[in-house]
Amino acid sequence: MQWRVIDTGVRRAAENMALNRALLDARQADESPSTLRFLRFTPCALLGFHQSAEQELNLEYCAEHGVDVQRRITGGGAIYFDETQLGWELYLHKRDLGTADMSVITRRICEAAARGISALGVNAVFRPRNDIEVDGRKISGTGGAFDGDALMYQGTLLIQFDVEKMLRVLRIPAEKLADKAIASARERVINLADLLGDVPALEKVQASIQQAFAAEFGVEFMPGGLNATEQRRYEEALAEIDTPDWVDMVQKPVSDRPLLEAVQKFAGGLLRVRVAYDKPTERLKQLWFTGDVFLQPKRTLADLEAHLRDSPLERLDENIAAFFSGRPADMLGLTPADFATVIKAAVAAEKEQA
Amino acid sequence: MDCNGCEFRPELYYDDQYQIWARREEDGSLTVGMTDISQTIAGKILHVRVRKPGTLRPAGKPVATIESGKWAGPVPNVFDCVIEAANHDVLEDPNLLNIEPYEAWIARVKPAGNLEEALALLVTGETARAGYCERTRREDIHCERGAR
Repeated sequence: MQWRVIDTGVRRAAENMALNRALLDARQADESPSTLRFLRFTPCALLGFHQSAEQELNLEYCAEHGVDVQRRITGGGAIYFDETQLGWELYLHKRDLGTADMSVITRRICEAAARGISALGVNAVFRPRNDIEVDGRKISGTGGAFDGDALMYQGTLLIQFDVEKMLRVLRIPAEKLADKAIASARERVINLADLLGDVPALEKVQASIQQAFAAEFGVEFMPGGLNATEQRRYEEALAEIDTPDWVDMVQKPVSDRPLLEAVQKFAGGLLRVRVAYDKPTERLKQLWFTGDVFLQPKRTLADLEAHLRDSPLERLDENIAAFFSGRPADMLGLTPADFATVIKAAVAAEKEQA
Repeated sequence: MDCNGCEFRPELYYDDQYQIWARREEDGSLTVGMTDISQTIAGKILHVRVRKPGTLRPAGKPVATIESGKWAGPVPNVFDCVIEAANHDVLEDPNLLNIEPYEAWIARVKPAGNLEEALALLVTGETARAGYCERTRREDIHCERGAR
C-alpha cells in the first residue's frame, strides 16, 4: 500500500494550522490518501484547541517579539514553536489502524516515532501519555485531532531548541525565568543536536521517521504535494484560521486562573509551591515546586508536577498517594502529605482573599 | 442482545455511526449527547465546548467539541440546527459524559427545517439497536464508564 509524504517547509503558524484542518477534512472526505507531513514554523505560540490565550500566554511578550499567536486543532497545552524544531504529522483513516481506542492509537504512533528517532543513534522511548523521551528528558511532545473516521496525530521534535524562549511566551510565575529555574527547565528537555554532537541534516531525520512509520504500518511512502481539493480546502481554512476570531475562539478571564503561592517549613526542609489554579472548575492546572529539600531521584518533583497537572483539588490527597505508592523516592524527612499541605495552603490563601 | 457492555436506549435517535444520541422534546427541540460508544472511545473527557446559543450549525459542522488525553474532536451534527442551550453542568465537569452519557446531555438544538425531516436522518428503536451492537462488535469496542 502507498501513502503520501509531504514536506511543507517553514511556514507561519496560521498556514500550518490551516493545513491541519484542510488535510484532516480531506482525509475524512476520502479525497486524500493517508499522509505523513513534515512541517516547520516561524516563531509562534500555539494554544491547545480549548485553551484561552489570556490565561496561557504572555501576550505582551509575544507582541513585542513578533511571536505569532495561534490555536491548534489538537488538544493539550500551549507550546512555543520555531525553526529549531521539526514537526511531523500523520493523517490516517481508522481503517489504517484497526482500532478506535485513542490511547492505543497514541501508543502505536508514538512508539513508531520513537523508533524513527532512535535510528539516528539515540535511545528514544514513548512515555505515556504523550511524550517521547531520551533518558528521562523530553525530545518530542504530541497530540491529536479526530473527525469521524479520520484522524491527525502530530508531534514536535527538538533539534536545536532553546526552552527559555518557550518559558518567555508562557504565562508562568516570574521566578521561573530566573537563571536557576531556566537551567532546571533545560534539564527536562533534550535536543537531537546535543545528543548527536552535531546538527543532523533535516533530510536524514525525516527519512528516519518516515522509514519507521513505513515499517510500522507496512506501507511505502510516495512524495507528493497538495491536490486541487486540498488546496481549495486550505484556502478556505486559512480564511477562517488566520483571524483574531479563531485565536480568540475560547476567551476566559485571567482572574479565573490566578497564580497562587505558599511556602511552608517541614521536618524535611522548606517547600515552596506555585499553583496555576482554575477557579471555576477547582482544578490545579499546573504546579511548580521549589525549595530547600532533598529528593532522590532528582526528577521526582518534576514527575509529581506532571502527575498533578490538570487535576481536581478535591482529589489531591489520593492523587499524591497514588503517585508515591510503588515509587521509591528518598525524601530525607519530607512526607507525601507535606506536598498536599503546602498546595492546600496556596489555594486556601486565595479563597480567603475571595 | 449483547453490545459488548455498551448501554443502548431504544427511545433515543442516533446518527448512523452511533456517535451521538438525540431526544425529542415536547417543544420541538432536540436534546443531544454522546453515546456510551463515543465516551468509551474518547476516554476521560477534559474539555467540552458548545457553540453559543443562537448559532446556526449546518450538517457536518460540530455542535460541540471535546478533548481527552490531548485528542480534540467534534461532537458531530447531521442536520442543520440552531443551538438553543448548553448543559452547564457538563461544561463545568466534562467527566459527567464518561459517568452517565445518556443523562449528561451536551446541547439542546432546534432543527433549522422540519423536525420530522431531521429525525428521518437518524435511526431509532430496534433498527438502531442492531446497528449500535453491530458497531461495537465490528470495531471490538467494550464500553467502560468513568468514575468520579
